[in-house]
Amino acid sequence: MQQMLQQFPVVVSALNVGFLQTLKLFFVTGLGAIPLGLVIAFGSMSRFRPLSLLTRLVVWVIRGTPLMIQLLIIYYFPGIVLGHNVWGSGEAGRFLASAIAFIFNYACYFSEIYRGGIQSVPVGQQEAGLVLGMTRWQIFYKVTLLQVVKRIVPPMSNEIITLVKDTALARIIALQEIIWAGQSFLKGSHGIAGALWPLFFTAVYYLIFNGLVTVGLGRLEKRLDYFR
Amino acid sequence: MKKILALTLAALMLLSMTACGAAKKDDVLEPAGEEATEAPAEEEATEAPAEEEAAEETPAAEEEDAEEEPAEDSDLAYVQDKGTLVVGITEFEPMDYKDEDGNWIGFDADMAAAFAESLGVEAEFVEIDWDNKELELKNQSIDVVWNGMTLTDEVTTAMECSNAYCNNAQTVILPADQADKYKTAEDMADLVFAVEVGSAGKEQVEALGYEYTEVQTQADALLQVKAGSADAAVIDLLMAAAMVGEGTSYADLTNTVNLNSEEYGVGFRKGSDLAAALNDFFAESYADGTMEQIAETYGVQASLIEQK
Repeated sequence: MQQMLQQFPVVVSALNVGFLQTLKLFFVTGLGAIPLGLVIAFGSMSRFRPLSLLTRLVVWVIRGTPLMIQLLIIYYFPGIVLGHNVWGSGEAGRFLASAIAFIFNYACYFSEIYRGGIQSVPVGQQEAGLVLGMTRWQIFYKVTLLQVVKRIVPPMSNEIITLVKDTALARIIALQEIIWAGQSFLKGSHGIAGALWPLFFTAVYYLIFNGLVTVGLGRLEKRLDYFR
Repeated sequence: MKKILALTLAALMLLSMTACGAAKKDDVLEPAGEEATEAPAEEEATEAPAEEEAAEETPAAEEEDAEEEPAEDSDLAYVQDKGTLVVGITEFEPMDYKDEDGNWIGFDADMAAAFAESLGVEAEFVEIDWDNKELELKNQSIDVVWNGMTLTDEVTTAMECSNAYCNNAQTVILPADQADKYKTAEDMADLVFAVEVGSAGKEQVEALGYEYTEVQTQADALLQVKAGSADAAVIDLLMAAAMVGEGTSYADLTNTVNLNSEEYGVGFRKGSDLAAALNDFFAESYADGTMEQIAETYGVQASLIEQK
């Protein structure tokens, strides 16, 4: 116990560095995937058949394969098969590769949530809009979207909370996120070797952060509680 | 009863929804009615190209390797050209680890920095996943694996390796209160071992014919013993010195019998001329005493191998 207290400041500062990387990946993925998901959703709902087929093919491949494999392919494919490593050797390249894999993967899941939300609005409303002489865009923007936003918040919350924890997968391409940082004390780091508790302690970071995310999303849901 | 019925219905509904989701949507936006029949055909069509892709990947990768070797005549020139020697490591006291200020130190880290300096380039340390070390080399995201790597057959076939520079052994880790009962490897026949996947320790236990479980890292193997899910672990002796005993989370574990003796080496891309350059550097720094000096700093001088 005494020893743990001594190690505590060193471990926490190392875990903070790792968690910063986790947070960076989380926010970059969120910012990228939320709009990209909408684009993919429109693609898969397109009336232009080849486009919708292509988008659904992509969504099928991305959702149908493990994110871990996608990370490995994105990071190692250019260097090994194409003979030119586009990511560079350092931490920045690993982060960029992880971010792209995560954005794409999550955008595909988000797109299906959006699609579900959009299609849950009764067709009668679109027909009514058309009868009133509104354009398709006006109907989407003024009638459908308002209802979609509030309906997709609960399923989106699910995905977002999963995302916080999924960032740990990036360690497969050696992105030094918080679990990596915690594990490093087992082998020896910052003068501490064979310490087990930092790895378990990382759970506290996830738990607290997900608590904040849950509260934030809960508030958002309340604010969107119109049309009642 | 009602509840079960409701649940089954709900599950069926979910299934049917996924099955005809595509068709439904088209009904809404399009007047055409054949979508329902088209949907299964689509899926078949999409499956085929993706499977081909996956099948193609491996042979493509191998071909590329074969082509690359002549082009990679001089890895040395490549490294000098870009000005950095990227060293792939994992944290592994006393070979490569971070000091309190976050700088990379250790016997391997210091030697790597000195070697890079002798080439006129800078050493850049990058942490890698040990399982992917060959991938990282081929991917050119690192130039060398320099991290207390045991020269096994697997390693020497996959990489261009330097001469051995350090002695090591695979040692058995037991709970301290059990250590008296097991004095030799023969005594341990009834124990269940935890070993790192693909490690030299695994080969040893396999050769003895004892029961074992494979885990991700050597640290995980210790965790198994501590948690009681394995009776004993086999890990590197140099690592055991840092990881078990007083002052660690494994104070109640101890290292006992050494199963073999083995050697550490440094790995480069297959066919790289950097290996020869490093052998020359090792010989030089052994002759002028700097290698031993660095070894003493980290307490590994007893394991050092003479370089000629």
